[in-house]
Amino acid sequence: MALFARKDRLPIPPKDAERVTTVCQYCNVGCGYDVYKWPVGKDGGKKPSENALGIDFTKQRVALQGQSIVENMHTVVTGKDGRQYNVLVIPSKASPVNRGNYSIRGGTNAQATYAPSKPTRNRLHYPLLRVGDQFQPISWDEAIDIIARVVKGVKDRWGPDSIAMKCHDHGGSGQGFEDNWAVGKFFFIAVGTRMLSIHNRPAYNSEVWGQRERGAHELNYTREDAWLADTIVLWGANSFETASVFYTEYMLPNLQGATIGKKRKVYRRGEPAEAGRMIVVDPRRTASVAVAEDVAPGRVLHLRPNLGTDYVLANAIARAIYEKGWHDERFIRRRTDLKTFEDYKKKSLMLDVPYDEFMRKVERLTGVSRGDIEKAAEWIAKPKRRRYRRRTLIIYEKGVIWGYKNYDTIASIAQIAALTGNYGKPGTGCGRQGGHQEGYVRPHSRSRAKLVGSVYAGGPPPNIDEYVKQNLNAKVYFVSATDPYLSTPNAQAYKKRVHERTFALTKFLSEYAATAGEPAGPEERARRILEGLGKTEGLFLVVLNMYQTEVGRDAHIILPAAGWGETPETSINCNSRLLRLYDKFVDPPGDAKPDWWIWGRIATRMKELYEAEGNYEEAKYCSGMDWKTAAEVFEDGASEFPDNRVSRADEAKLPAECYKGVTHDLLRRLGQKGIQTPVRIDPKTGRPVGTKRRYTYKFGTPDGKWKWYGTDPWDPDPKKFYPHQITKYFRGDNERKFPFWFTNGRTQIFWQTGYNDRYLPEKVYTIPMPYIEMNYRDAERLGIKSGDIVEVYNMEGNCVAVVYVNDSPPPGTVFGIMYRFHESLNHLTTSYTDPKTTIPWYKGSRVGIRKLPGRLESVIKYTSFLPINDFS
Amino acid sequence: MLETRLSRRTFVGGSIVLGALLTNFRFAKAFVAPSLPYRKKKIANIRELKTHKPIMFNYPDEKSPAVLVKIGRPAVGGVGPKKDIVAFSALCSHMGCPIQYSKGRFVCKCHYSMFDPAKNGQTYQGHASEWLPQIRLKVDRRGNIYAEAVEGLIWGRIINLLPR
Repeated sequence: MALFARKDRLPIPPKDAERVTTVCQYCNVGCGYDVYKWPVGKDGGKKPSENALGIDFTKQRVALQGQSIVENMHTVVTGKDGRQYNVLVIPSKASPVNRGNYSIRGGTNAQATYAPSKPTRNRLHYPLLRVGDQFQPISWDEAIDIIARVVKGVKDRWGPDSIAMKCHDHGGSGQGFEDNWAVGKFFFIAVGTRMLSIHNRPAYNSEVWGQRERGAHELNYTREDAWLADTIVLWGANSFETASVFYTEYMLPNLQGATIGKKRKVYRRGEPAEAGRMIVVDPRRTASVAVAEDVAPGRVLHLRPNLGTDYVLANAIARAIYEKGWHDERFIRRRTDLKTFEDYKKKSLMLDVPYDEFMRKVERLTGVSRGDIEKAAEWIAKPKRRRYRRRTLIIYEKGVIWGYKNYDTIASIAQIAALTGNYGKPGTGCGRQGGHQEGYVRPHSRSRAKLVGSVYAGGPPPNIDEYVKQNLNAKVYFVSATDPYLSTPNAQAYKKRVHERTFALTKFLSEYAATAGEPAGPEERARRILEGLGKTEGLFLVVLNMYQTEVGRDAHIILPAAGWGETPETSINCNSRLLRLYDKFVDPPGDAKPDWWIWGRIATRMKELYEAEGNYEEAKYCSGMDWKTAAEVFEDGASEFPDNRVSRADEAKLPAECYKGVTHDLLRRLGQKGIQTPVRIDPKTGRPVGTKRRYTYKFGTPDGKWKWYGTDPWDPDPKKFYPHQITKYFRGDNERKFPFWFTNGRTQIFWQTGYNDRYLPEKVYTIPMPYIEMNYRDAERLGIKSGDIVEVYNMEGNCVAVVYVNDSPPPGTVFGIMYRFHESLNHLTTSYTDPKTTIPWYKGSRVGIRKLPGRLESVIKYTSFLPINDFS
Repeated sequence: MLETRLSRRTFVGGSIVLGALLTNFRFAKAFVAPSLPYRKKKIANIRELKTHKPIMFNYPDEKSPAVLVKIGRPAVGGVGPKKDIVAFSALCSHMGCPIQYSKGRFVCKCHYSMFDPAKNGQTYQGHASEWLPQIRLKVDRRGNIYAEAVEGLIWGRIINLLPR
């Protein structure tokens, strides 16, 4: 008995199968995949000479060395020629990133392709127009015309800022440089609005200005550094679950001592090379901690700070390093700005406060002992035998990016690396792990609206969630490749308000039609929409996605987008900025189109409308977007990068993504090898060359020196330390009503909202509903068992979840999956954003918990509740 | 060929056997397991089993290690009076490493995938995108436990039955 259909054989690709190179569509790691496609019924044979893979299928393959080909890596699709094709998407052994390894997400890449007989038949096929309470399919010409007329009309009457957006800015997931360039050109130039926000947050901002404004981009190390480091620090990064193959293919071998040989090759002569150590800073005992402890007991240090106190902890570790004299004096003198260093010493290290008193205050606020702080300092910075400096790689992610005081937290962590000379050398670096892959290129130099940086660089940028909720000047809202009804902070309040505003317009249009009939054409329809936007608090919502989404429920127009494998695209991964081509191998469903095509068509239609009324000035801004191919968009985007015919040392001045001089054709030739950005044109040879590791010679500042930053003062009393969005939970009866700290995060099992995964039976059985993790002690006190259903609630909102009782969260803290397919624990996040960056604090809130009577029997029967953080 | 030895029960229900054969034939085209003529193999007797003491065996052939275990809690596809006896391929469905049974579940120490034997070999943690292939079991009146088929593709094979 199996819970769903399993297979016990797969078809074999014949020698003449079509072969395409691609990269996983999911996480930051960017594992390489090879695609084979051949007509159903034309299978190859079992002998190596009879199949495309050259594998002897008459024999059992050898573990680890053999090619992995599992059930989910095969599917059948329908070609535009009406024929059925087998598609095999297997982890590439030729990829330098994963070398044949793969994750629970990437292993199902094939299942994400569209097939009319599979769950992906749920993909959007046609543009949809809301009429009253239903969606009607319409042609692209009609949809584009309505949108162009509304955008133009709104802009002409209320100005460019009346058009707001929340769009992807990343790579992978069916996006990449091409789609990002098109979004940028549309909103920055054709529209010219400032009301921009990025898919996973309320504003248009970097999540790491605290590091960038010091002179280092967050993607500066290369994946091999995780083999070479003496110590790896994972700060707010549960890499085993969220960068799975990077963890098992690079960090684990280092902890096991399997990379000592590699270390000897690049270390200096006489420098000690040993098995690596790992420091994990995370309030939870994550799988990343537990696996490391199983592999390397005694060489793993786990620090569990109280929520939101990371910047104080980072500064305390730095202070301990400085106190012991383990900082890199030579690096500080040669590579950093000594003027701002004084500010850092005073404000971040607080050298005016005696060490003992400082540490007592830190212990009180962070909950981390002085002993552990000093041990972390030792593992990060205490020189090795014969006075060689320790090589430490610090990798951080959402646990701190989405923490309290984003700017100061990121700056504090990045400065530990500068203090200890850990940039630009093998085995060092400090930067993001990454969530998804990257692919950012936008026309900043030609933007009509002024884009701002942090509070120290003309900012902070406006909060668009609040703008759309509260400001009636927001008239049009584009949401692309994201589902903020699940993913935005304080999601319940947000979706309630967006629904009210979009419904106000819908109601106006329905009432209009009740007396005057439905509009005769797009021109009349757009006119009524504009009238409704003027007379009501209405908001015109356009959603662009692969599937119908939660936010899509309230859309007025939905546009169907092509996904991964359906158009050529390019992205870089996060662990080594490796640029590769993710080639096309299937057609999009129905009439779905690549994002770049859609944005280009809207702009081009606006251009025609402006030309028709003789406004050639505005028409000019809407021009140059009638691209025909993805390759053309990619090359258009390259125009944004500065002259990259620079020396090796001047890579520091180039944007991290710079790919000028690279084309789709070149990437197709490079295949899995790819090229590491920033790409330079070698002044001697005139050829594009990649950058393995960044900031070996200088930092990305005008004078090439690291700029120090002194963080804000802090109070050791939690009631004074936290912002009012949290301290309100300490007042009066609230402390009793909302007794738990609440934090959130991801699971290894599915990707993001599970837009593809929700159709796979494995994922649905494993994560049947939103879940929380609760410590044994709290569960015992409340009489809660694994599998019980609870309501989690606070002054922001509520969500119902199933409980996993384990020792991952500390007592008094509850962890929840951030969101699942239709439900969201982001209902509980507060509306706090860092006043310096407008980055929200997703990871800290206060909640109450109520057990629901009864259980869901199917959940108990088919879902595993075994502890996910015990591997012994 | 499918197991042809008739017990009294299958003899009585002859038409059910025919129906099953036809169904299997249709499934075979879609490769839905079991689509292959697996041989029945005796693994152990119920009386020999102790809770949490796994028994290793090979199935469907010598190159395919498998594990039978009484897990002490009712399981999807479990046999025996408590429905707690299950068997699985012992090769991790991720990259083929041997899995270990401990604390009531299977762990692969190569990349730390974990599988729940009570829930159809569910990957509840780790890299394996495939649940562990479960082996269909049958117990006769004497308490003998037989392996009958493998539900899921064994790692390292394109077809579960290798040519002899």
